[in-house]
Amino acid sequence: MADNLETESGSKNKPKAKTAAEPAAKARRRRLALYIVLGLLALAVLILALTRPSGEKVVGEISQPLIDKAGSNYSQQYYNYLAFSIARGKNVRSAESDTHIGFAGRTFAVNAGAAAVAANVLCWLPALINGTRITISLTVTAVCAGVFLSVFLALGKISRRKLLSRICSGYIFFFRGTPLLMQLFFIYYGLPQISPALAINNKFLAAFVTFTLNSAAYCAEIIRAAIQSIDKGQFEASRALGMSYGQTMRLVVIPQSIRRLIPPVANEFIMVLKDASLVSIIALTDLTFQTRNISSSSASALVYVPAMIIYLIITAIFTYIFNRMEKRFSIYT
Amino acid sequence: MALIRTEKVCKNFGELSVLTDIDVAVEPKEVVCIIGPSGAGKSTFLRSLNQLERITSGKIYIDEKLFLHRENNVTVFQQNSAEYKRLLLEMGMVFQSFNLFPHRTALQNIILAPVNVQKKARAQAEEEARELLAKVGLSEKADEYPARLSGGQQQRLAIARALAMQPKIMLFDEPTSALDPELVGEVLQVMKQLAESGMTMLVVTHEMGFARDVADRIIFMCDGMVAEEGEPSELFTNPKNPRTKQFLNSIL
Ligand SMILES: Nc1ncnc2c1ncn2[C@@H]1O[C@H](COP(=O)(O)OP(=O)(O)OP(=O)(O)O)[C@@H](O)[C@H]1O
Ligand SMILES: [Mg+2]
Repeated sequence: MADNLETESGSKNKPKAKTAAEPAAKARRRRLALYIVLGLLALAVLILALTRPSGEKVVGEISQPLIDKAGSNYSQQYYNYLAFSIARGKNVRSAESDTHIGFAGRTFAVNAGAAAVAANVLCWLPALINGTRITISLTVTAVCAGVFLSVFLALGKISRRKLLSRICSGYIFFFRGTPLLMQLFFIYYGLPQISPALAINNKFLAAFVTFTLNSAAYCAEIIRAAIQSIDKGQFEASRALGMSYGQTMRLVVIPQSIRRLIPPVANEFIMVLKDASLVSIIALTDLTFQTRNISSSSASALVYVPAMIIYLIITAIFTYIFNRMEKRFSIYT
Repeated sequence: MALIRTEKVCKNFGELSVLTDIDVAVEPKEVVCIIGPSGAGKSTFLRSLNQLERITSGKIYIDEKLFLHRENNVTVFQQNSAEYKRLLLEMGMVFQSFNLFPHRTALQNIILAPVNVQKKARAQAEEEARELLAKVGLSEKADEYPARLSGGQQQRLAIARALAMQPKIMLFDEPTSALDPELVGEVLQVMKQLAESGMTMLVVTHEMGFARDVADRIIFMCDGMVAEEGEPSELFTNPKNPRTKQFLNSIL
């Protein structure tokens, strides 16, 4: 117990449990070094922020001949990231384009090589990040709501009440047995035709409902398997102590299932994250939609690289979170 | 006046008849040991008492009150739900495989049912739990998870957990069979103390030494029937039934 307390307070003040035993002076010196590094970084950022190239200057330096030639068909994008800015001009008809990068007050024309790729990726970032936001919020909300629903579905399926069990089994069978894309189409396009009252006009909401209903079916099977993997001695001990079925589930069975649930639920989460790309088909502006959009308007399929990297980063972050959760729930083994 | 009494209790699993016409009565403060060969139906009998199994036919009385009466797998009489629950809780059960709650510490294992079933105040439940832990010699282990305890400690914790519901009778189903030989003694010691403190106990066991020393009465079960019963001195030294003789010879 005392051991536990020490590691806990130890890991709160940056130096890990290992160094908790070292003299406090050493920890203090280390913290001071951290502050100095942070201070220097802040200073550098401040200087860069003050020397950023002005927007007009960069735009102005897009080659004048190109602007003249293109006339009103000339589209421009301009992005400013701190001391760092990108200006892209593109002739809509001839696909001639012109990219400038500005850094610390100076601007450079970059129309080829790695610099151009980097500049392009930076130009795409705002749209990609908007798409990412939608992808993540759809996945997180749908999986959370799906897990919540699935607990009831799982309990319903293993219930001794025949009718309830049938209904839940049927639901799970339906959502696991039909393509997700078709479910999405049905909910978005089909429901309004059955009755206008059922129409979900918001694309995000329609996607959320579809993904929730779908992942509830998958998670219900996960939860059912986890509950049924609990030793039957646990049920017997609970009964012998006078607990009701509900209390047994709530206090004994479900808490023990959680740790076994986390890896398969993490798996389901990652599946949903990737399946969420299907919503681009109903023109919800998720990461995949934005990527396709950029790809077709800039005629550069290179945009799939940063988009896929973003998917990988999200997967990595959530895998880390799920691993931490699993560790937290395995204290008792 | 018997604390628990059964009349013609029968239990079938499908075609298989496991218990036939069991008539057993346990008086208050009595320690009764059930012995018998494997498959005799000893576990099934204990589990039939606290309703982990439903009997096929027969009557069960608790405190001389008819608790359950079934014929041909149909319930003829059962106490109303509140009384049923109350009478059921007069029995505490200790399992061969402990069945502790692995996600709760020793102390939490003990207070879980008192707090949630009996609606005891947590502080009071904890105080009583600490007393029980002291009684079974686990005061130091209150905040340990079961996985960190030895088999003997786990079974002692399971005994404390059952005692926390203040049962009138404790049912033990081979409480030491899952233990390494060197850990058996500490559990039997706790059970012996419990018997000496006046607890009524019904114990299925293969520990003949314990049965001889502690039991007031021995029941020998065989093929789903009570083949013989009597005081330990009598039954161990001078068994009447040839099956009893054969069984005792095979294990002693
Ligand atoms: N749930 C069940 N379904 C079918 N048969 C069962 C079930 N439980 C027990 N039995 C059978 O009932 C008989 C008695 O089993 P029981 O566990 O009561 O014996 P036991 O006397 O406790 O034996 P042991 O000393 O091995 O524990 C056995 O033949 C067993 O196979
Ligand atoms: Mg048995």
